[in-house]
Amino acid sequence: MSRYRRRTGVRRYLNVVNIGALVLAAATSLPLIWMALTSFKSPVEAGAVPPTFFPDDPTLANYGNALGSAGFGRYLLNSTIVSVSSTAIVLCLALFAGYALGRLPLRGRGPIMVALLVISVFPTIAVVTPLYLVERQLGLLNGYWGLIIPYVAFHLPFAIWILRNSLLDIPYELEESATVDGASPARTLLSVILPQARPALFTAGVFTFTATWTEFLMALTFNAEDSHRTVPVGIALFSGLYEIPFGTIFAGAMAATVPIALLVLIFRRSVLSGLTDGAVKG
Amino acid sequence: MRATPDFVTDAHRKGGVHPTARSAKRSGKGPRRAPEPRPGGKSIRDRQARTGWLYTTPALLVVAAVTIFPVVYSVVMSFTKVRLTHAGTQVTDWTTANYTTMLGSSAWREALLFTVGYTLVTVAVELALGTAVAVLLERLEAGRGWLLALLLIPWSLITVVSAQLWDYLYDATYGAVTWLFGLVLAEPPVILGTPVPAITGMAAADIWKTTPFVAVIVLAGLVRIPREQYEAAEMDGANAWTTFRRIVLPALRPVVAVAVLFRVLQAFGIFDLPFVLTQGGPGTATQSLAILGYRALFQDLNIGLGAAIATSTGLLVVLGCLLFLRVFRSQVDSAAEAGEGGAA
Repeated sequence: MSRYRRRTGVRRYLNVVNIGALVLAAATSLPLIWMALTSFKSPVEAGAVPPTFFPDDPTLANYGNALGSAGFGRYLLNSTIVSVSSTAIVLCLALFAGYALGRLPLRGRGPIMVALLVISVFPTIAVVTPLYLVERQLGLLNGYWGLIIPYVAFHLPFAIWILRNSLLDIPYELEESATVDGASPARTLLSVILPQARPALFTAGVFTFTATWTEFLMALTFNAEDSHRTVPVGIALFSGLYEIPFGTIFAGAMAATVPIALLVLIFRRSVLSGLTDGAVKG
Repeated sequence: MRATPDFVTDAHRKGGVHPTARSAKRSGKGPRRAPEPRPGGKSIRDRQARTGWLYTTPALLVVAAVTIFPVVYSVVMSFTKVRLTHAGTQVTDWTTANYTTMLGSSAWREALLFTVGYTLVTVAVELALGTAVAVLLERLEAGRGWLLALLLIPWSLITVVSAQLWDYLYDATYGAVTWLFGLVLAEPPVILGTPVPAITGMAAADIWKTTPFVAVIVLAGLVRIPREQYEAAEMDGANAWTTFRRIVLPALRPVVAVAVLFRVLQAFGIFDLPFVLTQGGPGTATQSLAILGYRALFQDLNIGLGAAIATSTGLLVVLGCLLFLRVFRSQVDSAAEAGEGGAA
């Protein structure tokens, strides 16, 4: 094809596409690199005019502050507890529901799937007040369950969709032979379906974990008390006495960003298939 | 492996499963149905249905309890006088006063105008940029996987972190962006201090973070266009622009529709970014409907008014969704048919 003209030597790589890719990579990564470098700068250098790129005198003091006096350690722990529990519960419930909605003769499967889709796009602000009032009455505010329950509910629909779609492709003969061998429905699900559902579980898991790790509005309204803040709330409400301590904030932000970035990079195939399956099959 | 999207490996172009073979299998109209269980008749089917409900009910109960009930509660509160008490809330008297207050307030009209305008502009820019990035990625021969991986990082970034980062970059004295402007302009703008630069700056931060999402989805549509169509266009002597307009754009319509829908819904409920970056300011220049609703609910403790703002925002989202699906339905269907027909 003419758009892949062959050239030789260095000029082979000097084309619009490669230069565009470099610009794209720079535009995407520069702000992130800037944040990473600033987290190693002293407060004076972080406020220097003109700004420096590499830290003159790299320091870990920001990380010490963030994880020590600023309480980011606590926020990270809270976020981890909430996100891990929500993801685990979502995957359990979605595996069973996705299996039933995809492969068992349920009446009203179609309307249920559409209802789930509509619920998953509803803006958080529309439900946050009644939920706040209910949680206040039940004494769930400023506790882990007060966040885990709504997180599970809001992220279940997507997980059910992903699992249902992936389970549709499994041949029915597998299940039938298990049933003929006398396996109970639950046993069939766990021994025959579960192994086949692994890619979809990874996808749903990474999406749920990322979404709960980054969620802000509910975390802000339900768990505003310092001891129960998650990372986003901690980062948003963190402020200094006289000016914003960006070095400390970015140290905390790095501690929250690096794990999730690694997770996404390790499971990038799952993430990409989740994004595209949602779009192509949606 | 099923979890590997085609465009990461390009497998289908190197002799793997042809994309149209896959999409043809999946493109049957309406949802695919599970085949009826073969032998056994009614009793097995009944038992299976019972198992099905047993498996589905817990998930549906959780979802219903946390979403449907609050929505109804919210609608009720928006039509009543609500008072916060120690024990909970006290609801008295049905009234439409909350809505009259809302419709009559200039703050709500400004927030509505800002939210709609902001959504339209950012999504349009993201769509244009995202398509450009996807076309670029599709033609990139080396390092596509790495670049895609890099693009996923802003997508997974906590919005609040991104907001703090841009707040730092836009700082009027030591911000790097301000400094860059200072190199060109005699008087660098106070980005977050004046309405138009603040809105632009916020939109730029949003576009930086979400364009990768659009690009990845568009790319998935792009790699599904069979090569033969490009070759046919080339043989007919079509130039690049005609090829893009006549072949690429129609084929992309379904995926673009989904990407736009998701982005519009997200942008319409925007909260995190203005909450941290601009606090809705300067003045009320970046006060979105969600920020306005949050303030009424949790700062002014005006539950009725806040519920009215929240309910109407939810209603607007649902109406927008339905309208969008109505307008796009025919296009999605015809695009899908044209795509399949051309490929067959």
